[in-house]
Amino acid sequence: MALVYEFVWRVLHVLLHIHRTIVTWFRIRLRNWNSRLWSRTFAALLMPVAVSFPNQKKLVPTAGKPVSRLYRWGVDGKSLEKLPLHVGLLIAEEEPRYTDIANLVVWCMAVGISYVSVYDNHGVFRRNHCRLKGEIVKQQQEILGPEGSKQHSVEFLNGTSDKQDHQVLWCQSVVNVVSPDDGKLRIVRAAQQLCRAVEEREKTSKDINVTMLDSLLRESKSPPDPELVLNFGPIESSLGFLPWHIRLTEFISLPSHVNICYEDFFSALQRYASCEQRLGK
Amino acid sequence: MEVRGLLDNVIPLDKEADVVVSCELEGCQSLKMSWIREGELNLIQKLSANVLKAGPMPKHVAFIMDGNRRYARKLHVERQEGHTQGFDKLAETLRWCLNLNILEVTVYAFSIENFKRSKDEVDGLMELAKQKFIRLLEEQENLEKRGVCIRVLGDLTLLPQDLQQHIARAVLATRNHNKCFLNVCFAYTSRHEIANAVREMAWGVEQGHIKSSDVSEALLSQCLYTSNSPNPDLLIRTSGEVRLSDFLLWQTSHSCLVFQSVLWPEYTFWNLCEAILQYQLNYRPLQKARDHHREEQALQQLEADQACVADLLQHRGNGKPLDAQRRQEALLQYTASREHRVQDFLCALQHKRDTYFTDFKAGL
Repeated sequence: MALVYEFVWRVLHVLLHIHRTIVTWFRIRLRNWNSRLWSRTFAALLMPVAVSFPNQKKLVPTAGKPVSRLYRWGVDGKSLEKLPLHVGLLIAEEEPRYTDIANLVVWCMAVGISYVSVYDNHGVFRRNHCRLKGEIVKQQQEILGPEGSKQHSVEFLNGTSDKQDHQVLWCQSVVNVVSPDDGKLRIVRAAQQLCRAVEEREKTSKDINVTMLDSLLRESKSPPDPELVLNFGPIESSLGFLPWHIRLTEFISLPSHVNICYEDFFSALQRYASCEQRLGK
Repeated sequence: MEVRGLLDNVIPLDKEADVVVSCELEGCQSLKMSWIREGELNLIQKLSANVLKAGPMPKHVAFIMDGNRRYARKLHVERQEGHTQGFDKLAETLRWCLNLNILEVTVYAFSIENFKRSKDEVDGLMELAKQKFIRLLEEQENLEKRGVCIRVLGDLTLLPQDLQQHIARAVLATRNHNKCFLNVCFAYTSRHEIANAVREMAWGVEQGHIKSSDVSEALLSQCLYTSNSPNPDLLIRTSGEVRLSDFLLWQTSHSCLVFQSVLWPEYTFWNLCEAILQYQLNYRPLQKARDHHREEQALQQLEADQACVADLLQHRGNGKPLDAQRRQEALLQYTASREHRVQDFLCALQHKRDTYFTDFKAGL
């Protein structure tokens, strides 16, 4: 009997995997079709704006031009009921694609999100943060154009805090590359620090509380707790992403970051905007 | 029977205490049901359960039971009715868990954040909890028969004295049972739990059990309230909310998180199956991530030990570099002594926690 059950189980799982693949495939197909429709609709919608702002007239009919895109994304960001201040991008896939991640970061900036944390549980981005940074700057130029890039400057925090590395023009967005070392390990380090203080009789164990630990874990430069984590990939888990800081973080899963389009990203933001929090009351 | 009762006031962190208060005593006292509902699965359920069990099953499931109030609103019934149904649902769910060989369940019953509510509300809740714990003791025999061990996790010192006493009695009465485990998080938030673990370690340092350099991820895990449980494999939150609300943040770092849109009182066996299926689909990559994490942790421990040994050798001060073999020996020796210290400390900590309960029982 056990063999029969196992066989059925295997069949079931094969079916589920097929189902998943088909759904993903359809999503992409549908999206391609949709985005064509969408851009046409958008061009039509923007016509009145074009009339009222004659200066921008030549930019408007092709919605693909950088400045109008930037404008559109800015409007999108403002149209949401609430926008997270800090978004975590959790990449739980085997092979990260830097271009797509850079796109996501640029979109975050364009809709008006101030802090973006990029995370994977192997610390790949931390090790390759220069490459990620280069890619973000490149995509920023490409997507937003030189004008838009000037408006949306970006600062990089990579844990090593080497000041020359930061590109500070008019700092609007901060990109933070996070690795598992910033999670439990940082809590452990803070605990060691407190225990050392106790060892040296500077503190007693009774002094230690949530506020003290919280302030130790919050450096002067560190962003507020992320309000939203976008979880890319087949694993539904936080995978060690900043356990202390995700107390009230909303988790929204997306199947993959590979070839992700703006509409998918924005619909996740819309979903976030509809989340309501009551904070214990 | 009334372990179930005690769980009645399931209030996911950010909601609905008022409802529980209003459903207080009269509503719940009439419900004299066991926390594990009697009865077996029907044939189709049994078959499906067996199919599921052919794959990897979660051993420990955590629940954030959410949506009682919305359920009541949806059905245009009194809020308390929604909660009553929610209570029933937990009893039913625990039965399903046992049927599916899930022998450990953790539920979020009362958050420290809930203390922010009006005094009336909080007093009402405490009174309710007291009633439930008293009735739990009346049902001791039943629990013994099933081998149910009940743990209450949280900062119990925040609770009124008499409630602490009742909790202590209930915990002591079931502490030796070892077939299945129910962890009730009461006066709990994860940040408090972590801060408390750090405080316990600092206490260990004060008492001379450990050194500050012995503090590690593994040690911190063992100082949490959940030190006697494995980490949950699966965390389920109902009613479509997609956050953890300060629940088991440390322990679920590599758990499968399943957010289901169904309201808790409408939860069915099939919803549970769906969650388990999702866990099974996630199983392999999750296992890989866990293994990776375990390796990293071991590496960190080794590096920490090496650094300590290097420090020690330098302190001894003869300045001569040691050969590799002597170095290795010193490392092994140091690791053994550290493990000894940690064991000693954990025993002391366990003793301290036990004493807390026995003292309260004695005080009753």
